[in-house]
Amino acid sequence: MRSLYISQQGCYLSLQQEQILIKQGQTVLDQVQLPLLEQILIFGKSQVTTQVIRECLRREIPIAYLSRMGYCYGRILPISRGYRSLSRYQQQLLNTDRLIVARTIVQAKLRNSRVILQRQQRRRPSEVIAQSIQSLSYLTEQAAQTESIDRLMGLEGAAAASYFNALGECFTGDGFVFVARSRRPPGNPVNALLSFGYQVLWNHLLSLIELQGLDPYHACLHQGTERHAALASDLVEEFRAPMIDSLVLYLVNRGVVNADQDFTYHDGGCYLNDAGRKKFLRAFLQRMEETLNVEGDQAQPRWDTLNQQVKLYKQFVYNPVQGYTPYLIR
Amino acid sequence: MLLYIVTYDIPCDKRRKKVSDLLEGYGRRVQYSVFECVLTTGKYDELQRRLKQRIKLQEDSVRFYPLSGHTLAQVEVWGGEPVTQMPGSVIV
Repeated sequence: MRSLYISQQGCYLSLQQEQILIKQGQTVLDQVQLPLLEQILIFGKSQVTTQVIRECLRREIPIAYLSRMGYCYGRILPISRGYRSLSRYQQQLLNTDRLIVARTIVQAKLRNSRVILQRQQRRRPSEVIAQSIQSLSYLTEQAAQTESIDRLMGLEGAAAASYFNALGECFTGDGFVFVARSRRPPGNPVNALLSFGYQVLWNHLLSLIELQGLDPYHACLHQGTERHAALASDLVEEFRAPMIDSLVLYLVNRGVVNADQDFTYHDGGCYLNDAGRKKFLRAFLQRMEETLNVEGDQAQPRWDTLNQQVKLYKQFVYNPVQGYTPYLIR
Repeated sequence: MLLYIVTYDIPCDKRRKKVSDLLEGYGRRVQYSVFECVLTTGKYDELQRRLKQRIKLQEDSVRFYPLSGHTLAQVEVWGGEPVTQMPGSVIV
């Protein structure tokens, strides 16, 4: 998915024939070809001219407006995209089918989290990690037998607490201490990285969901409201650990990000600054463009696995009996 | 995804500007009237459809050369930029 990320502040995007010209003051930072673009993400305060917006609408290129830490305020979509062809099918899904898929998603999330911990355990064995690996297996079994969404969410919460506790053991970078997950606002650099990463991934999934014509407001695990694109939240679960947590581990433990230089503290929270955001996005893109070998298939970039899952969900909507096959790492 | 070489010969300044503006969106100018474009078949069709509306076939000539993976490996470049790669995402 070819995206344009505007992570610097005070940029000005204008149309120049078939290209978008990105300026900051008088300097031209870059030029991007419109016909080959798939989405635009704007972090913080930058201006987009109406001409650019109109061209993007015509070409069905969504523009997402996000806060500097990645929270999505809203998106600009063409009016035709509002027609969600699969919405009717999604509304007709039976509660039992939804529960089954919700269980599948939670189980996949727990399994993937467990694999990430197991990888760390092989590198640096620790008692806390061993314990968490055990409790994650137990909770995965429990999740398989759960009969209500609320209880499922409860199990997921318990698993997350145990998992993040163990993940804290895995950070070795200078100046990075991670005791527990804190969000809204993130309390320290590791939490800032995790929050930002989840938000970026969530937004990409939302774009892919829209592209497939699914209604993002109807989901299985998360309760959809008109204000919450719950399907993106559902599908992001199985990717959190393998795509974001492992990336954050890499960034911190290899010293790619710097605890003193890449963060800023304000409003009682810790956030990535311009330099940190850029570093994160670079590493994120590099990782998403890396190809991996999926069982039996030929190599494909991580981007495709995201799209693959959205398509699998679509198949489930068409044919609920089949169920949903989640993304599992080994 | 294939690499296409698109070349043109257009006597009218106005039409030539229009064609080169369009091609700037799909590929990279490597010589005055030669573009290299890495495109999916969908985008290639779109480019051709849009180009057709901007040229006059009686006077202009546009040529498209798709390169297969086999011949792409044998491309040589003397001077100037290396062969165009698939465009990636952009971070600003």
